[in-house]
Amino acid sequence: MLRLIAKLLAVLNSETHPGQISLGFCFAMIAGFTPLLSLHNLLVLLLVLVLRVNLAAFLLGLGVFSGMAYLLDPIFHWNGFQMLTMPSLEGVWTSMYNCPIGRLSRFNNTIVMGSLVFSLALFVPLYILSNILIARYRAHVLAWIEKSRLMQVFKASKLYQAYQSFSNFGGAS
Amino acid sequence: MTQPKSGVIRWWGLGVFVFLVATMALVWVFVVDGVVKSLIEDEGTKAVGAKVELEAADVTLFPMGLTLTRLQVTHPKEPMSNAVEIEQLTMTMDGLELLGRKVIIEEMALKGVQFGTVRSTSGAIDDQSTDSPVSQAGEEDGMAFTLPPLEVPNAKQILEQEDLETLKLIETIQMDIQREQEVWKARLANLPGKEEFEKYQDRVKGLKNSTKGGIKGILGGVEEVQAIQQDIEQDLADLKSARKEFEEKLALLKTRLAQVKAAPQRDVQRLKEKYSLSPQGLANLGQTLLGKQIGAQLKEFAHWYAMIEPYLAPGDGQAGRSIPKEMRPARGEGVDIRFTATHPLPDFLVRLADVSLLLNMGVLKGTIHNVTPDQHILGTPLTYSFSGEQLKDLTSVRIRGDLDHRQVDQPKDTLALEASGYRLQVIPLSTQPDWPVTLREGLANVNVDAMVTGQTLSARITSQLSGLHIQAGNADDSNPLTNALSQAVSDISTLSVQADVTGTLDQYDIKIQSELDRVLQEAAGKMVQNLAASFSKDLQATISAKVAEPMKALTGSLGGLQGVGGELTSRLTKEKDILKNLLDQGIGKKAIPEKILPKGLPGGLKLPF
Repeated sequence: MLRLIAKLLAVLNSETHPGQISLGFCFAMIAGFTPLLSLHNLLVLLLVLVLRVNLAAFLLGLGVFSGMAYLLDPIFHWNGFQMLTMPSLEGVWTSMYNCPIGRLSRFNNTIVMGSLVFSLALFVPLYILSNILIARYRAHVLAWIEKSRLMQVFKASKLYQAYQSFSNFGGAS
Repeated sequence: MTQPKSGVIRWWGLGVFVFLVATMALVWVFVVDGVVKSLIEDEGTKAVGAKVELEAADVTLFPMGLTLTRLQVTHPKEPMSNAVEIEQLTMTMDGLELLGRKVIIEEMALKGVQFGTVRSTSGAIDDQSTDSPVSQAGEEDGMAFTLPPLEVPNAKQILEQEDLETLKLIETIQMDIQREQEVWKARLANLPGKEEFEKYQDRVKGLKNSTKGGIKGILGGVEEVQAIQQDIEQDLADLKSARKEFEEKLALLKTRLAQVKAAPQRDVQRLKEKYSLSPQGLANLGQTLLGKQIGAQLKEFAHWYAMIEPYLAPGDGQAGRSIPKEMRPARGEGVDIRFTATHPLPDFLVRLADVSLLLNMGVLKGTIHNVTPDQHILGTPLTYSFSGEQLKDLTSVRIRGDLDHRQVDQPKDTLALEASGYRLQVIPLSTQPDWPVTLREGLANVNVDAMVTGQTLSARITSQLSGLHIQAGNADDSNPLTNALSQAVSDISTLSVQADVTGTLDQYDIKIQSELDRVLQEAAGKMVQNLAASFSKDLQATISAKVAEPMKALTGSLGGLQGVGGELTSRLTKEKDILKNLLDQGIGKKAIPEKILPKGLPGGLKLPF
C-alpha cells in the first residue's frame, strides 16, 4: 500500500503534464474494467505507447481499475445486456456479428459490452476531473508533500531514482 | 522543474508496441502446439471418462490447420485397450471463421484408424471404476436364446417341482367346507331342537288338562293354543329359512367341486405347454439357433450407435437471434448474446473427412460429410460411405447411410450394408450340452437395411449362406430326437435367412425366417408329435394319481356337510308332527291357519265354541 502511495506521489510530483497522467488513468480504466484479453485492449496498448501517455499512471491505474472491475461486474453485465438487447441497435449488432473482427472482439458478451460502454462513457469526465485534481494538488498540496518525511524517505530510495532515470529517458511521460 | 516533453506522438512507443506484439506472436507460435495438445488431452479425457492421449499436435497458420499424431482414446470399460487409435489426423480450417470463434474444418484426413488396439499402460483415470466381468456376463445373459427341451420330460420329476392348481383349489374348498360346518353347527344349536319339541309336547298335554276345568279352563286353553300356534309358526319359519340358506351354500360348494374335478385337466395342459417339445417349438428352433448371432451383431451396432449419438445431439448453436435465459452468469464471464447470422454455420463442422479404417480384415476407406452437432443450422445431414475390396475373409463390403438430425425431435438414421463373400468360420450356434451346434465353415452374402427413428429400431437382414458345414450333436447321444435334428442340420449346405428386427435399441424383437425351420420340421416333426402325446398321457396319469386322495377327502367333507341339511329337514318334520298331533286332538284348529297345517290333515276334535 505504502509502495502504491509512493508511486502515486512520484507520478503526481513529477514534471509530467497533468493531461498525460490523466490519459494514463483513463486508458487504464478501459483496460482495467474490460476483460484484459479483449481485442480493443490491443488498441488501448497501442495508444498508450504511441501517444505521450504517462506509463506509470497507466500501470498504476490498471491495477486499481482491475480490482474495481470485480466489484462492478454485475453492473457491467446488466449494462451490456441492456445494450445488446436494445431493439434500435439490433441492426448494428447483427452487422458486427456477421463480421469476423466483430466476432473476435466479443462485443456480444454482456461483460465486454457493458464494461466497454461504461468505461468509454466515463473516459472524458475522468480525464477532466483528473486534470483538475492534479492541478489543485500541485498548487496546494505539492509543496507540503515535498517537505514531508515520507517523501524525503521515498526520494532517497532506489525506486525513485530508477523512476527518475526512466522519466528523464522519456518513459514516464 | 523542467518543461514537459513536447509533442503528442511517442515514436519509440510504436516500436515497443510492434516488439510486444511480435513477441506475443512468437511465444504463441512456440507454445500453441503444446497448448492444443494439452487441451485435446484434457477435454477429451473429461468427455470420454478415460485417458485420451496424443503424441504430438502441430498447428499451422498458413494455411490454417492442425495435424495430430497418434491419438489414442482409451476404451472407458477396458482401460488396457483403446476404443479408437488414429495414426494421423490432418485438418485444414477456415481461418476467417476461426476468428469468429467457429471451428469449420474444410477437410480432414484420418489415416490408420484402428479399433480395440492394445495399450501398454492402463488408460483408466483415477476415479474411474471399470465394470466387472460379472456385470458384462450379466449383459450377455440378458440376450441369451435358449433351446427348447429336446427330450421327453419325466412327469414325476416335474410334479416334484411344480405346484398343481388342482391341489390349491381343493385346499381352498376344503377350508371353506370346514368353516361352513362350524358355522352350521352353531346355527343348529340356536335353532329349535329336541329340547324345544319336548317343551311343546308338555304344553300340549297341559292344554288338554285345562279343557277339563270348565269355562275358565276353556278360555285359558284358547289363549295357550294361540301362543303355541305363534311359537310353532316362528320356529317353522326359522327352520325353513335356515334350510333355504343351507341349500344355497351347498349348491355353491357343489359347483366349485365340479370345477375342481376339471382342474387336473388344466394342470395337464399347462405343464404340457411348459415342458413338452411341441411342433411349434421345433418351428422356432431356427430362430433360436440363428437369433443369438444376429442379436450379438445388433448389440454391437447399438453399442457403437450409443457412442456416436450423443455427439449428434444439438449444441447451443442457434441460426437466429437468441438471448440466454441465464441472467446470473459467473463473475467476470457474462453471457453471449447471439444475433442472426447472414450465412448460419454451426460452431463446429467438418465438411469432409477422408477416413482410412485399419480393421483386422483389412483396410476400409470412406468419407464422411457434414459432421456437426448442429445439423439444424447447417440444414444437411451427416452422410457416410465406406467400402473395401478383397479383404481378409470378405470379398467386398459397402457401407453407406446418413445420420439425419436436422429435426432435433425426429432424428432419422439409416445404414445400408452389402457384404459379399463373407467367410464364416467356427461359429457356435448352440452351446447347450445336450445338443451343441457349430457352424464350422460357410460363405455368406449379407444385406442389411437398418433405420433408427428416435429410439425406434427397424432393420431387415437378408443373407444367402452357401458351402455350409454344420456340426451338430454329441457322438454318444442316444436321444432319437436330437439325433434326428443333428442329421437334418448337418445335411444343410445352403440356406436363406431373413431377419426382421423391430423395437428399440435396448429392447428389440428378432423374427427370423429361414429354410431351417422347414428342414427341422420334416426331420423330426412326427417324432416330436409322438413324444408330446406320450408325455401328455404320462402327465395325465401322474396328476390324476396325485390329486385322487385329496379329491376323495374333499368329497367326504362335502358329504359330512350335507348331514346338516338332513338335520334341518328332520327338525322341520318333527315340529310339524307336534302341530299335527295338536290338531289331531281337536285343539285350536280354528285358531291355527290352514296354511301351516300339514296337507291332507283330517279334521279332529272341535273346540267347544
